[in-house]
Amino acid sequence: MPALKLFPQLIAWTALAVVLLRGCPERRRLTAGACGAGFAAGVLGIVLLSQSFSATSYVVVRSLLGGNFLVLWVVSAAAFYRSTGRSGLAGPGAQAQARPLATGSLSFFFALTAGGVCACRLPAAGGDLLPLLAPLALMLAGLACLAGALAGERRLPAPLTVGFPGLLAALVALLLFSSSFLIRLDLFSPLSMKVMKCTHDFVHQFMESILIPDHIFVRPAIWGYIGFLFGKEVGFWGGMVIWFTPVLLVLLAIRFEPLPKVSHIRQGALRRKMLAGAMRERNLRQVIPALSLVVFAAAAYQSCYPTVEYWDPKPVLVTATAAGDILLAKKGEVDLGDGKLHKYLYRQGGREARFFVLMTPAGKLTVDLDACAICKPDGYGQTEGTVICYYCKTLIPLDTVGKPGGCNPVPVPFVEKGDGVHIDGLTLINAWSNTVQSTTKKESGK
Amino acid sequence: MKRTLAALWAALSSRALAPLVIGFFFALYIVIAFFSEETLTVLIGLTSRNPFLATILGLLPLNIACRMVVEAAGYLRRRRALTRSASRLEPELYDETVELASSAPFAELERRLGAAGYRTKRSGDLLAAWRGFSLSLARIILLAATCCLFAGILVSLVSRAVSRQPVIEGNPFPSTTGSGGLVERIIFEEGTGPILAKNLVMEVATGQEGSVRKLGVYPPDLVGGAFVYPRYLGMALKCVFSAPDLPGGFERSDIFAIHPPGKEAMLAVADSPYKLSISLERPKDGSDPFTTGVFVMHFKLLKGPDLLFEGSVPKGGEFVRDGFHVAFPEARRMVLTDFVVDYGVLLIWSAGFLFLLGAFVWLPVRCWLPRREMLFQGEKAGVVHACSHAEGRARQHAGAFHEALDVLATKESPAS
Repeated sequence: MPALKLFPQLIAWTALAVVLLRGCPERRRLTAGACGAGFAAGVLGIVLLSQSFSATSYVVVRSLLGGNFLVLWVVSAAAFYRSTGRSGLAGPGAQAQARPLATGSLSFFFALTAGGVCACRLPAAGGDLLPLLAPLALMLAGLACLAGALAGERRLPAPLTVGFPGLLAALVALLLFSSSFLIRLDLFSPLSMKVMKCTHDFVHQFMESILIPDHIFVRPAIWGYIGFLFGKEVGFWGGMVIWFTPVLLVLLAIRFEPLPKVSHIRQGALRRKMLAGAMRERNLRQVIPALSLVVFAAAAYQSCYPTVEYWDPKPVLVTATAAGDILLAKKGEVDLGDGKLHKYLYRQGGREARFFVLMTPAGKLTVDLDACAICKPDGYGQTEGTVICYYCKTLIPLDTVGKPGGCNPVPVPFVEKGDGVHIDGLTLINAWSNTVQSTTKKESGK
Repeated sequence: MKRTLAALWAALSSRALAPLVIGFFFALYIVIAFFSEETLTVLIGLTSRNPFLATILGLLPLNIACRMVVEAAGYLRRRRALTRSASRLEPELYDETVELASSAPFAELERRLGAAGYRTKRSGDLLAAWRGFSLSLARIILLAATCCLFAGILVSLVSRAVSRQPVIEGNPFPSTTGSGGLVERIIFEEGTGPILAKNLVMEVATGQEGSVRKLGVYPPDLVGGAFVYPRYLGMALKCVFSAPDLPGGFERSDIFAIHPPGKEAMLAVADSPYKLSISLERPKDGSDPFTTGVFVMHFKLLKGPDLLFEGSVPKGGEFVRDGFHVAFPEARRMVLTDFVVDYGVLLIWSAGFLFLLGAFVWLPVRCWLPRREMLFQGEKAGVVHACSHAEGRARQHAGAFHEALDVLATKESPAS
């Protein structure tokens, strides 16, 4: 099963090697060598890092991915700028593709990141042999994929070439696709959330800056449109724009590349032939960036619909005593100390509150609302080592559940006694009402 | 010195400067995002306080202004070239420049270009052909809009000063200069426009006999150099309270943000355990008391955490029970208003208008009538310099240009 889980990453790695080999056709051996070394180094590095600092390995790989994406943005913007300018100069990347040191470094770096992503997918150390065998098997599989890439790349049509921005777009797309299967490496969902927050802040600041009247004065329909800017959809679509723009810029940069000057040729047929040849070559250079666009889309889709299974029990209805005390037995039908999320629903009058009880890895019980102070109360699910906010897809490490702030579940005061966990019903209901009221207000842009 | 100035001008008018500055602030935003949830607020605060960051931001309007100059100069130079007033041909103004050996007269070429839809002008050894309208004007408008926008943001960031004060019926208008007249009336009524649901008008008596200045919601009015920006509605209440264990009573005039009806505000009774939670009672007919002027205050009397009782008191009325006495002898409309001293707002508004105007000019010209130009200049040695430039439909224009060159070269030697 773990081998099957690595299938998308190995496919992406093979494609990445193919693109690198095609992007640096004059240095095939060097590229292949750097790829192999980089992949092995990436796997080993992450395995060693995760044995000492489990969380750090994810942070390192995620930072590398984020850095790659930013570099792609810069390169694609520069390529677009050059293409649309009058000078039409070739970028530094074009020379980098031809230089051995640059080719080797580029290949090594991307292979290293790909190896790191694959290593993050390895199962956590379970037996004595697994920590050794699994990385070794992964490295062998990676080398086999590289051999396949070497053989496969030769069969591609010779005119199918790729420039530096297109090469970078394809490499980053494949890395992001590969990482989108790991929820802790995924970049798209956090990006969407950041965009949503930034849009919210920006719209708020903008409205105050140009003195636009507040909602009490504006027609609800108009305010509805403004409210749309504060919603989750804006985060999603804004994220999509940021996600796809670099590749689109690369495609446009190629499209806007000036055609060769043919005014000095006096034979019309020759002129047309030269122009047609240049356009054909330009179109073929758009193929790999266009495919990257598809890969970017697949990564975004995978991020929005992850195949992770969450532990998300149906909330159990609880009641309170006449004094408003809710008692949850520690052991019985449900074992509150089993480290799993236990959800409950409490109703009082016309109001209700959803909450959960969880034993943290530190061995402390915590009672929290099934909602945070920021998002709509879509609730939480539990997965390996974390709970996830269903609304914004933020992962909360189990160690920090019970601490207030950010997208953490809102903690509820409780008393732990011998017979179980005691919660004040009124406090719970009020906490839920206040939280939901404030997040709903934010959602509607007020 | 000249070289330094030229380099400085080249840097300031470079197309790359604006993306670089924006990229710098974007990178700064990302760095701040690692440390703060309120990234934009922190970035705005940093930029407004730090002269270095403000200077960097200031490069944006400066760069755009320089580019406007470059754009206007380019337009004038190209125009001079077409009208033969330029002293020499400037290849950098054109997309393509070619030199070919030809001594053929331009008459045939002029006729052909005319037939292809180009307007032509021949004077001596120069033939100019053009069609469509230049996008320079639209580009200059759009650049001016961008310049206004960034200049507005900069001015707003470094100079904005906001003071929030209540505007109360019957009280002097809290003007920054201190010369505000009496607030005669606050009118809150149904709006008639497509945007505003409610109209808020604050009628302020001016110095002249009987004249009144009406301050609305949008566009905000300028009073004493500050924009009047109404934010929230509320009531200015005079509350009178006494209790059996508080025989001396309690009296206080204060403002309460209790609009819309139902919204509660708390009033702590000094030196006692009592608190009053006050709200405006929602009329049964669904009307807004702020509009009708019929105010009924709903109150809850709390002693510590305990609710003693609740009730309703109309303006000027009183509530008496078990020795407790609650009354609201005065209830006046209040608008919590920001007085904003910020002239960047004017620049940002201008930017919005200019963007609209620029788009209205640019779009139809670029789609239907883009500028295309050719220039042919003959020299004595039987050499013709030909230049071509297109702002749109470049492929068709290039075809026409190549055919024109073919016409010139038909009876001559191949192009050099």
